[in-house]
Order: sequence, then structure tokens, then C-alpha cells
Amino acid sequence: MSAPLLAVDDLVIEFDTQAGRRRVVDGVSFGVAEGEVLGILGESGSGKTMSTLAVLGLVAGNPGVMGGSIKVFDDGQPRELLEGLGRVIKRRGDKPARKNDRRWQRLVFRRMKPLWGRVMTAVFQNPRHSLDPLMTVGAQVEESVRLAEPALSKAEVGARAVDWLARVQMTDPSRVHGSYAHELSGGMCQRAMIAVALARRPRLLIADEPTTGLDTTVRAEIVALFKELLADRGRSMLYISHDIREVLYLADRVIVMRHGRIVEEATAADLKAGVGRRDPYTASLLAAAELPVGQQGAA
Amino acid sequence: MEAKAERLGLWSSGAVVAVVLLLGVVAPFVAYDPASAVDYDQQLVGPSAAHWFGTDGQGRDVAIRLLKGIEAFFLPGLLAGLAATTLGALAGAIAGYAEGWVRSAVLGLMQLIDTLPRLVFIILVCTILNPSISLIAGVAAVLFVPNIATVVRRKVEALASEDYILAHIAHGFRPTRILLYHIIWLQCRPLLIRQATYVFGYVLFVETALSYLGDYGVQEPTPSWGNMVAQTRELAGAAPWPWLFPALAIVITISGFLAFGNLLARREEEALR
Amino acid sequence: MTRASLLLIAALRRTAGGLLLLVGASFVIYITIRSAPGDAIDAISPMGTPPEVKAKLMAEFGLDRDPLTGYVAWLSRSAVGDFGESLVFAPGATVMDVGLPAFERTLALAGLALAACLVLALLGALLLGRPHPRQQLVTGPLYFVTAAPSFVVAVLFAQGMNWFVHTYVEQGGYETPPWYPIPIYSESWMPYLFAGIVLVAGDGLFTDFLNAVRAELQGLRNAQFIAAVRAKGARTVSHIARNMVVPLVSGYAARLPIVLGGVVIVEYIFTLDGAGYLLLEAARERDFPIVVGLSVLFTATIIVVNLLADIVRALVDPREVARGG
Ligand SMILES: Nc1ncnc2c1ncn2[C@@H]1O[C@H](COP(=O)(O)OP(=O)(O)O)[C@@H](O)[C@H]1O
Ligand SMILES: [Mg+2]
Repeated sequence: MSAPLLAVDDLVIEFDTQAGRRRVVDGVSFGVAEGEVLGILGESGSGKTMSTLAVLGLVAGNPGVMGGSIKVFDDGQPRELLEGLGRVIKRRGDKPARKNDRRWQRLVFRRMKPLWGRVMTAVFQNPRHSLDPLMTVGAQVEESVRLAEPALSKAEVGARAVDWLARVQMTDPSRVHGSYAHELSGGMCQRAMIAVALARRPRLLIADEPTTGLDTTVRAEIVALFKELLADRGRSMLYISHDIREVLYLADRVIVMRHGRIVEEATAADLKAGVGRRDPYTASLLAAAELPVGQQGAA
Repeated sequence: MEAKAERLGLWSSGAVVAVVLLLGVVAPFVAYDPASAVDYDQQLVGPSAAHWFGTDGQGRDVAIRLLKGIEAFFLPGLLAGLAATTLGALAGAIAGYAEGWVRSAVLGLMQLIDTLPRLVFIILVCTILNPSISLIAGVAAVLFVPNIATVVRRKVEALASEDYILAHIAHGFRPTRILLYHIIWLQCRPLLIRQATYVFGYVLFVETALSYLGDYGVQEPTPSWGNMVAQTRELAGAAPWPWLFPALAIVITISGFLAFGNLLARREEEALR
Repeated sequence: MTRASLLLIAALRRTAGGLLLLVGASFVIYITIRSAPGDAIDAISPMGTPPEVKAKLMAEFGLDRDPLTGYVAWLSRSAVGDFGESLVFAPGATVMDVGLPAFERTLALAGLALAACLVLALLGALLLGRPHPRQQLVTGPLYFVTAAPSFVVAVLFAQGMNWFVHTYVEQGGYETPPWYPIPIYSESWMPYLFAGIVLVAGDGLFTDFLNAVRAELQGLRNAQFIAAVRAKGARTVSHIARNMVVPLVSGYAARLPIVLGGVVIVEYIFTLDGAGYLLLEAARERDFPIVVGLSVLFTATIIVVNLLADIVRALVDPREVARGG
């Protein structure tokens, strides 16, 4: 087994709602190794986004992360994101004390600062809202390029940005370079977002439902793009989706989440081959995937 | 805790509104003759059991002048709030629903009214027409119509594409019913409550301000909170109660109404969600 | 078409719209004049105005014609800044000679007060950060205090000052402090500072602005694209700053009319010789040309500031031009 990049252990995330405290992620553990693609599969509301945001250190207060450990490996050095969380929670008691939350968030941000972008970065679900509306797409890719390769000259940065836009198969990269998010279609925005993320050259790319909300044909294109980018060079990725076919197509290993818990963990090959006993929920997902397109439910 | 603070705010501002409404209804039935209230033996008596808020420079009881002062803005303010919200809701509904030149005409008119500097325009009107509080309140109501129309129009436009409104249309409900009942009455009520309290607060502000300035508002000896505050000019620092209590009354009433409108609207908005 | 030419077209269209609004608003003002009860000329001229002055006024305001041609006659004069001559306040001087310097002072006062308010609101929002319940103990009473109308704040402020100076003098200070100018006419800028403080604190301006800026900032901090910027390891400050420009400029333009209303009364209380004071004095003495001239100036200012805000929005936010509004 190659070196680990990410190791999440027994992660717990809770939220206070009007109906009391809700545990939305309940003891989730998973890991991603160098060069591996881990797929997280689960219906909407199963806690996928919250788990990935926790990994990125981006879960805002309102209890938020309540336990577990998240280790990010920076050149083999483990960095524990949640160190000291127990003390914060203990001090907080039952109260949703905001002051400690803010201090805690600042601490997490400080820990994440050297890791964001360089070790891992993310592509989110809604591509339109993921791009700064007031900056051209090109400027945002250039921002990533400059962070990844500070030594480049201005002209080189520009050329590299167009290059990245071409890599994500934009039909007219130099035009897209000068466009704003509102001038692009949803699929183009997602390609642009992938370019922004990849130009940063992260070790681990986290993609949180990057195809949800796109048209079916565009979805297929984006999935194909991911496949190609993965084949390009051995990249590590955490790919999240509620669509089992996408996950089986892209991932080496799959975990299935439901109601904040992991109900299944298997290699994609085993799942496809039908090896071993399956959790009933996974089995139903697999059965649904077997159906010819057109007879599938909305899920 | 958040909810608790909000409930506290709602109750306290609601109490202010209730008291003002009650006093506003009672005030006209209290007989008061400003001329016979003058008593030079009782000038500037401090607050006491006989005179709760003391007496002013002419020996008149401040408390009863505070009460009668409500009359100056009470009815005009309520009517202006009602008129402005009705007109604003209609204009907003038309602008949000209609298309083509009707929409453009309503929008243009609203934009036009909105560019008039409110207080300056009111003063202009007062120099031309016979100034009275009813006139001022009427002009204020018209000047507030664009604000209300804008929020209502946004809401109408946002709701027009919602599924349940489309379903109503598909079920064959009459458009005017959908517009006036389902959209304006059910959905825009919180907005309208908030805006109505704004207008009321503004009428109170203009009345007291103009009465303070002295030319177009309520004239002495008829009491108004504004011309009571204006007594600072004669009294200097001698006794604070003749002007401090009306000043506080203005602040409390305005902020009470604004806060009540805001919090009530927010609660209704949450209930709608 | 290039973005620059689209921008130019949008700017031109908006300028044309602004001019149209100005024409419309001046028509409203003119119609208001014409709606005077009885003989309009008696309503707009002070008592005892000699007949030849009345005749001149009639001609200037086009009262001798039907409303439409009268309006055109009046507009063609006012459009070049000719609002006639002052009748009472400064007989013989043109309205512009009297009004414009005063108006400039008023505009400076209102504009700077609102700018100060904006800066304070921004600082406050940055300092307070994410809202949390305990802050309501502060913001609640703050809201209460600052909802006070500016004239009440001005009165309380002046009275407080009086009391303060009074005690100061009693305690052995032999003269009033040199910075204390109320209600004395003076060249000092202190009364302007006081008026500015009152404007910021009154009419709910500050709290309203603070709440708006906080909500905007909070929304931005929670925005997905800011999370994306964080996740790629870039600094969020420039992104947040850029996205705050439009709300701040819009907020400024939207609140200017409120301040221009407040400034009229505050100037009067502090006896500053600005346009607000002039307006109220002229109205009292029925110096009608001045009242009308200043009304048009106030209206034009609101239109111009909104136009400028529109142009800034179009420059900063590419979506504005795309919307074509
Ligand atoms: N701020 C919040 N407050 C309360 N509940 C939340 C909050 N954010 C997310 N949740 C809940 O957490 C659960 C998991 O959400 P999420 O991780 O986004 O699901 P997924 O990405 O799998 O669709 C959902 O049921 C959602 O309602
Ligand atoms: Mg999700």
C-alpha cells in the first residue's frame, strides 16, 4: 500500500436545530492513499458534504465538529486538524458558546493555511456559486497558477492559465479566459472550477458532487473529464456523488454513507463483480444501477 | 437565547405600541383647554404626584400635554400608513404582474416619486398649500409608495415562478385573486406591516420636526411633542422636564414602532418559511 | 461587442434616464407650484410684493400661460441654472449666487457625514464579526438610541453641551471653551463637526448601515466561492473587498436622501449657513424663488448620486451590464 494522504477517524459532526441536537455525521472513518481515488456514495442529506468540509477545515460553528481525528499527511508528516477539540468541547459544555467556536475556527484555519491548495483543494457542488462573480475566470485560474508556481513571469502565468483551461477541454480557452462566471453555462463553470483547482496542483483533489445540478449530457462530459485527468497522471482524489455509476466508474475504493454512518466499504472491482455480501442499502443501489437508463427512479 | 432576546424585543416594543395606541384612542376624549391651563403660580414645578412630569414655563401640566400631543400625529400617521401600504401594494402588484408599457409607466412613476427629497418636498408643498398635518401626512404617504411598491414587486416577481402559484394558475383561479389574496395578502403581509410602521414613524418624525421648527407644524398653544421640545429655546438649562419627556416620548415611540414592525414581520416571515 | 463599448452604452443610457428623471421630477415640482389655491402668484409671493415684481415672477414661473408651456418656459430658464432672483432673503441677488455656496456646504456636510458613517459601519462590522446573541445586549439598546430623529439628537446634544459648558464655567472656567460655538455664528468648523456627529447618530442611520454591512459581510463570508478561494489556499481579503464595493456604494447612495432630509433640520438647530438653513428661512419669509431653486438642487443631487452609483456598479460588477438595466 502506498503512503497515506488523508486519514479520518471516528468523525462526529452535530448541529443544533429547533428539534434539538442532530448528529449528521456519526463516527465516520475513511482514508485516501497516494494515487488512490476514494468514492463516497450516499443519498442527499447523508452527511457527505459535511464530512468533506470537515476535512477541509471549513465547517463553521453551531456545534459543528464534535469528535474524531482528521490527519492530513504533508510529505508524509501527519498533521492533526482536530487536536485540542476535546478541550474546546469540554469548556463549552452543553452551551453553544460562540466565543470558543470563533477561537476554535481561527485555530483550525491557522492549521489549514499551509495545507489548503498545496496538499488538497476542492471542487464544490454548485459551480455557479463557486467562482468569484466579479473576476474573470482567467484571473481566478491565474491566481491558482501564481500560488502553485510563484516563480513564473506574468506572461507565463497567463499562458499557463489558458493551458489549464484547454486541459479541461474548454472549446475556446482564450475567450473563456476573459469571461465572467455569469457568461458561462453550468458545465463550463464546473470545468473552469476544475481548472482553478487543478492549476493549484494539489496532492489531493476533493470533488463534492461536481456533476449534481448539471444536464445529463454535461454530467457525462464532466465525469469523462475526471477520468481522463486521472489517467493523465496518477492523482489522488476524493470523489463524492449520489450516483453509483459515476462512483463505480471513477473510484478504486468506495464507501457508502447513509444517515451519517458508513454502511459499506469495498473496492469498486468487488462491487462491480458482485463479490462478497452486501449491505441491503448498497444492494438496492447496485440493483438500481443495473436497470436500463430510463427506468431509473429520480434518485 | 437568540429567540429569547427577540421575544423580549417583541414584547417590549409591542407594549410601547399598545400604550401609544391606547393613549391615542383616549386622547380625543380628554377635555383640554390650553389657554385655561396656564398658571403662572405653578411655573416649572418638578415632577410630583400632582404633576407627574412637572409643569412647563407657563405652569401647564406636562403629562396632559404629552397625552394631547399624541393627537397631532396619531390619526394622520395611521391613515398615512394605511394609505401608503394600500397604494404601494397595488402599485407593486401591477408593476410585478403587468408587462409592457403599463409596467414601465408604473415603474417610471415610482422612480420619479422616489427621487424627490422627502423633507425638502414636504417643506416646498407647505410653502405653497395651506400647511396642515393631514396634508403633510398625505404627502408623506405618497412619498413612501415607491419603497413599498418595490419590495412588493420583488416579492411578486419572485413568487410568480413558484410552483404553487403556477399550480393555482393551472387550476384556473382568477389571476386577480391569486395576485391579491395568495401573493399580496398571504405572502406580503409581513413586508406591509413593516412598511406601515415605517410610514407611521416617518409621519411622527415630520410632524414633531415641523412643530419643533414652528412654521408648518402644530402651533402653540396646541400641544405637540415637537413644539414641547422646542421649549428648550426659552428654558435653556433651567428645567429639563418640559422638553426632555417629550423628546424621550418621540424616541421611544419611533423606535418602539420600528422595532415592533421589524420583529413582527420577521416572525411572520419565519412562519411562512 | 467589447465589454468597454457595452459599458459605455450602459452609462449613456443611464445618464439619459437620469436626465429624464430630472425633467420628470422638476415637472412634479412645477405642478406643485401651479396647484396653489386661489391665485398662484399670491401664494408664492410674500405679502406686499410690488405689482411689477409680481409680474416678473408671473413671467419667470410661466404662471401667465397654460401649465405645459409655462413649464417649458420655466424649465428652459432653470435648466441653465437661472432660478430668478431672491425676493426677501437677499433682494436682488440671484438664487444661484445665494443658494449654491450654501448648497455646497450642505452637500459637503451630508456627504462627509454619510462617508464617516460608512467607514464606522464597516469598522464596526469587521470588529463585531459573526453575530451572536450576547451582542444583542449592545446592539439592541444601540438600535433604540439611534432610532431617534436627528433633530431630537441635535437638541439633546446641544442641551448636553450647554449643561457641560455651564458646569465648566461654574467650576471656575471663566469663559466658554473656545471650541464651543453653539449657537453663535462663527467661522469655526466645530459646529459642522457637531452637526456631522448628530447626523451619523440620528435617524437610525448608523445602526441601519451597520446591520446592512454586517449582513452583507456575513453572507460573503459564508459564500461558496469564498470557501473555494480558501480551499485553494489564496487570501480571501481581496475577494471579499471587491465584492463589498457594490453593496457599500449602493448603501451610500440609498441613504443619501435620508441624510439630506436630516441635514435641513440639523443645520437649522446649529444655525449653520447651509442650504437647509437657507431653505427653512426662505420658506418662512416666502422667498419663493430660493425655495424652488433649492428643491431642484436637492432633487438633482439625489439623481446624480444615484447615477454615479449606477456607473460604479456597472464598472465593478459585470453582471450589471449584462442585465442591461
Ligand atoms: N448548519 C446546519 N444546521 C443544521 N443542519 C445542517 C446544517 N448543515 C447541514 N445540516 C444537515 O446535515 C445533514 C447532512 O448534510 P450534507 O452533508 O450536506 O449532506 P449530503 O452532502 O450528503 O447531501 C443534512 O441533513 C443537513 O440538513
Ligand atoms: Mg452535499
